[in-house]
Amino acid sequence: MNNKIPNFVKTNQFGLLILVIVFICIFSFSTDGFTSRFNIYALSRVVALDIMIGLAMMVVILTGGLNLSLGALGVSAAMFGGWCMESMGIPISITIILVLAFGSFLGWINGFVTVRTGVHSFIVTLATMSIYFGFMTLLTEAEAFRKLPEAFTDFGSLKLFNKYISPLLIISVLTCFVLYYIFKYTDIGRKLIAAGANPDAAELSGISVDRMFIYCHMLSGFLAALAGIMLTARIGAAIPSMAGHLGFDWLLPAFLAPVLGGTLLSGGKVTVFGTMLGAILVTLINNGLYLIDVGEFWVRFFLGIILLGAVLLDRAREYFTVKNSIVS
Amino acid sequence: MSALLKKDWFGLGLVLIFGSILISLFKPAFISPFNLYVLMLSVSLMLVVAMSQMIIIAIGQMNLSVGAIGGLVAISFTGLMEVYSMSILPAVLIGLLIGLACGFINGYITVKTGISAFIITLATLYIFKGMNLGITEAQPFYEIPEAVKFFGNAKIFGPIPYLVIVPIIITVLMWILMNRTSLGRYMLAYGNNVQSSELIGISSTKIVIYAHVISGLLAAIGGMLVVCRLQLGTPNIGDSWLLPSFAAPVIGGAILAGGKVDVIATAFGVILVSIISQALVIFKIDPFFVQIFLGFMILLAVFINRYREYREERRTKVFSDE
Repeated sequence: MNNKIPNFVKTNQFGLLILVIVFICIFSFSTDGFTSRFNIYALSRVVALDIMIGLAMMVVILTGGLNLSLGALGVSAAMFGGWCMESMGIPISITIILVLAFGSFLGWINGFVTVRTGVHSFIVTLATMSIYFGFMTLLTEAEAFRKLPEAFTDFGSLKLFNKYISPLLIISVLTCFVLYYIFKYTDIGRKLIAAGANPDAAELSGISVDRMFIYCHMLSGFLAALAGIMLTARIGAAIPSMAGHLGFDWLLPAFLAPVLGGTLLSGGKVTVFGTMLGAILVTLINNGLYLIDVGEFWVRFFLGIILLGAVLLDRAREYFTVKNSIVS
Repeated sequence: MSALLKKDWFGLGLVLIFGSILISLFKPAFISPFNLYVLMLSVSLMLVVAMSQMIIIAIGQMNLSVGAIGGLVAISFTGLMEVYSMSILPAVLIGLLIGLACGFINGYITVKTGISAFIITLATLYIFKGMNLGITEAQPFYEIPEAVKFFGNAKIFGPIPYLVIVPIIITVLMWILMNRTSLGRYMLAYGNNVQSSELIGISSTKIVIYAHVISGLLAAIGGMLVVCRLQLGTPNIGDSWLLPSFAAPVIGGAILAGGKVDVIATAFGVILVSIISQALVIFKIDPFFVQIFLGFMILLAVFINRYREYREERRTKVFSDE
């Protein structure tokens, strides 16, 4: 092995970092508004949410599964929060705790059914997605909660650091550090990874794999609910359609961020900061495409191409690192 | 009789018959000619979509882009006829070709890179849907030839629509493919165990690409049938296909890990889902309940399949003890 190149250079976080810098350079030179205070602030609000959604998906991908119900779950939790604050008059802090608990509970349902039936979580969350979203629409009668406490909505439009950064981004970055700490240094975090990487070996070494998988789904529900609250604060209202039909608008960023970040779809590997970089890259590209003016309708097309290009590049990188290590 | 009992579709068939009798006892409107006609139309469309997903489930993968392919073909089909005033037959052929090409792209990239089909088809979902929106700018095409409209709405006799012909042919062909041809058996073998199927000399490249191409073709046919039915080509055709496309094969007993699908059971799954949706409408239940119901149906089917597997495991254990 060539030891002169530090290991970090070979990871795909490094590749991502380069890509992020390259795109920042391209967009700041080719467009006018990219580095404006307004645009950076707007970016920070969007990035905050994309990071959170990406993390919520990442913890389920850790088990080798998927969570299609992410968007539906997040919106349901957010609507529950809106109901608590507007109709019940529950204080903000208690509402947030209730919403997070509710999100975790919905996540628990996903995990419980997946573990008990042994069916791939794709099918289970496909079903719960329509169940959660259906119940939410029925109960709210598709009406939004718009009269939320001012302290709550003001937080969403707060501007920090010389009015460049939204406080929502700080929440997301903090969450990244907490998750990193959990997965790296705590007993439970290591058990979660072990269960995802090799369920049989984990089971034999005394870890209850089923329980770990349920924890992963609960964590996913928790993070999705947090994302739901953040989106509500950002918009200033809890709207049933804020993540699109069945919460589908969240799915692409949810998969892009962890996959770009180097999370293995087969499970057993998490990259918290890779997911963060992935989310930043997606938001940058999305924002840049609008600024370059490719036309609103073509943005989706380019996002798809970029996802495809990114996974292919990652594959090529893997291939060449393996080849290099064999040769030297 | 006992051989019949073991079939995946037998239980479903019983549920269908008794369910229909029960519903029509409460609401005679259920078996009115008009209702049967509407029912057959919805079955026809969903059957094609379900088959398109089923063949991918057979090889142990998923195709998220089924709806996007259907939508792209639908707007190309109508766009060719309206903007380029093409006649129907070449428009249909080009539509099929687009479906074939989309499926080929999915299959080729999946098998050549070894990346999960889920991610590849998620990317192509956005690419195809983006092309659809980019071309149409979210505007529908309205000018459809009379023959197409006729095919979508006319009846052969009684309540039976012309539209039903296509899905019947497809179902028969799919049954032959999965049960009587080596290609179909190879697909199931591949879905069951990739390594061992390669060891006995099955080419993964060929199997995966064939399955995705067939899936693309069926999605294309589904998209064009919806055009016939709606009598216009809107860009949002196919947006709502994802849930039903998985629901029918899963309710019909396909195991999502691959290697086991049943064409007849999938067809029954489609009919069951359609009957229930229709019944909920007749009983004047909130349309959002239909969605919730579909979700619960999938979970229920999953639990029943799990229970059957469990029972089978126990039975085989008893035999091995003897």
